Amino acid sequence: MCRVKRGANVYSSFHWIRRLVLACLLSLPGMSALGDADASGDEFSWPADLQIHGFLSQGFVKTSDNRFFGPSDDGSWDFREIAVNASYRMQPDLLFSGQLLSRKAGEMYDGSPRLDYGLVDYTLIMRGDLQAGFRLGRLKNPLGFYNDTRDVPFTRPSIFLPQSIYFDRVRNLVLSSDGGGVYSNMLSDWGDFYFQLNIGRLDVDKNVEYAFLLTDWPGELETDDPWFTGRLMYEWDGGRVRLAASGATGELNYKPGVNDFLQAGTVDIDYWILSAQYNEESWSLTAEWMNEPVSWSHFGNLVGLNNGTAEGWYVQGAYRPFEAWELVLRYDVSYLSKSDRSGERASQVLNTPAHNFYAKDLTFGVRWDVTSEFMLRAEYHRIEGGSWLSVRENDPQTMEKNWDMFSILASYRF
Amino acid sequence: MPGAFGAERLIVHPDTASDTVTSDLVRSLFTMRLRRWPNGAPARVFVLPDRNPVHRNFAKKVLGVFPHQLRRSWDRAVFSGTGQAPIEVKDEKQMLDRVANTPGAVGYVSGEKGGERVQFISLD
Repeated sequence: MCRVKRGANVYSSFHWIRRLVLACLLSLPGMSALGDADASGDEFSWPADLQIHGFLSQGFVKTSDNRFFGPSDDGSWDFREIAVNASYRMQPDLLFSGQLLSRKAGEMYDGSPRLDYGLVDYTLIMRGDLQAGFRLGRLKNPLGFYNDTRDVPFTRPSIFLPQSIYFDRVRNLVLSSDGGGVYSNMLSDWGDFYFQLNIGRLDVDKNVEYAFLLTDWPGELETDDPWFTGRLMYEWDGGRVRLAASGATGELNYKPGVNDFLQAGTVDIDYWILSAQYNEESWSLTAEWMNEPVSWSHFGNLVGLNNGTAEGWYVQGAYRPFEAWELVLRYDVSYLSKSDRSGERASQVLNTPAHNFYAKDLTFGVRWDVTSEFMLRAEYHRIEGGSWLSVRENDPQTMEKNWDMFSILASYRF
Repeated sequence: MPGAFGAERLIVHPDTASDTVTSDLVRSLFTMRLRRWPNGAPARVFVLPDRNPVHRNFAKKVLGVFPHQLRRSWDRAVFSGTGQAPIEVKDEKQMLDRVANTPGAVGYVSGEKGGERVQFISLD
């Protein structure tokens, strides 16, 4: 154990957690071999190049009406996020990393652990002003400012991400790609450019089926062909100004089951986000805009699957009045079809209330970083409409138009 | 020349070859995107806690980045599997110890006190 102790990262004061995980890793045959390599005096000592991090987070949600992340109309504790990750920098240009994530979010996600990412990263070019390389494995998709770390409470601007763009009800659709990707970082006198492109299959789950085919059908929704997901980000003056364009494009393919009313079909989805942010030391202004053209082909003649473009945008201000405190104010707007923003036409076709097809959410939140490891948050939402509510948690016929939501969250990281 | 007039000084392990570095190089080192020196030696980055005033000044004056953005870029790397976090030391004394004893190390301190064992470098 002395080797573990010597190499323990001083990143947090809670070394024992990391030591415990390191001790477990040491008991694995492969890792023990890495430990021996250190004893022989290699240039890169171990485990200084092995890092273990993670977080635990528990939320509480209370809504006046409608359900979000559990039976929130009665007050719900069904919002829990637990993750542990390990990364090993074998050489300056070679990195292995992986994260296990358990996420309980009401009826949408049951908390069973899942590989959030697992990859090898090789840097081909590494200079002061330019780095470029590639990654293979399960990669987080770079979309907007927040998708790559959307489940990490410390990196979100609020307890819930703006649902108009980062829908939790179909989170897995754009979460990660199983395949490969390339990246480059370029620093120049005119600003810095960061580029990432991932190509791979998506991990499609039942939530995606509910969102794009309205319910759970006997067949399976899959991705036959790889999706493309990418982001180009520009940062000026060390990130005082940040601008990004990102997007994903691909198809979902439906394979009918036994005695299936629904016939085989394809959902063609594009998902584009423009992002802008201005930062000062004590405040930040952020805005993002999303467009998602969706078209359905075949499927027999299922009523309700009309081609359209979903749209979402938000404007968000964050203010840090003192060290460790942050206040957030945001207005977030979502339309399931931008040619039917009032939802009237969809309401007639599907015979459900028009307010199920849009949402306007005014959010006020506060964050307190009690220590660098422990964070507390509270926020209040005033909401009109329910476009981002899941039909797995709500009956579309009885969703209330005007509702509010209060939430608190405690998070610990190591 | 932000580094030249600020009280915060870059320090490196005494065996590090260069006396000066470019601001791009320093920023890439401290955002953990550059992990070796131009001569190929692996780089080791040491930082003080986020709330330490020396860290705040170093981030703003030398790197030209707000501390909250530096934290965000480390968190994004660590929790998306695309990179690692720098090694955090608790105070300037430990910073000097670790940088003096770790080949390839880079860090910063607020003055020249106790700096005999490390090498000070400036931005060009």
